[in-house]
Amino acid sequence: MKRSYRGVILLCAVLFLNIIFTQKAVHQYYYEDYTATVIYAVLNLVLFPIALFIYHKEKNV
Amino acid sequence: MDKNNKIPFDEDNYTHNINKNNERKLDRRGFMKTMVGAAGLFAVSTLPWGSIAATELMGLREKKYAKKEIIDVNKLKVGEAFEFAYPTDHDSALLVRLGDNEYRAYQNACTHLRCPVFWEKEKSELVCPCHHGFFDVKTGSPTAGPPRRPLPEITVQVEGGKIVATGVKRYET
Repeated sequence: MKRSYRGVILLCAVLFLNIIFTQKAVHQYYYEDYTATVIYAVLNLVLFPIALFIYHKEKNV
Repeated sequence: MDKNNKIPFDEDNYTHNINKNNERKLDRRGFMKTMVGAAGLFAVSTLPWGSIAATELMGLREKKYAKKEIIDVNKLKVGEAFEFAYPTDHDSALLVRLGDNEYRAYQNACTHLRCPVFWEKEKSELVCPCHHGFFDVKTGSPTAGPPRRPLPEITVQVEGGKIVATGVKRYET
């Protein structure tokens, strides 16, 4: 049976963004740019439900 | 009777129905689950940074300082300095008038060994005479000598012809 690997690719992209946002948040924290830190932390939090959504959509495809 | 002598003997330990083939194989769905778990882990790991940054933004860590009059504006000429005590009587501080409406005030205990720091008008620098520490008067950061940390800055404003100290900016201890 032919599998769709779209979910795998999308989740890889999500995890890549996670890494970027985490690193950005930590760096901006040390630059005392606290607004940016909060924004990146929230973005990172938002990525988790997105990842769950992608998983539920793609697990049986 | 002599079943233990048979190799292999008949199984009677109830593990024959446990099938561990391919147990460690990571299939497509398992991989996606791992990725979702990792996303959750990243989300949780940024929580402390975000929450600390949020408390900083809300100013929960700022200390409250009482206002205190320092000196009349017309008693302090441009380029002159005035010594006062803020926030308590035991924290000596130095106010420097740099321009008509430009003031800088610092707690003047040197960040090296807490000698008093003086205003050197000719060089436009703050000087600690004990070990020749120099500070930039605009920022309070050390420019030469042993001190490595900036002087704690006191925020000032002019109210009704008087210079008033309103607080101390956060500083490294």
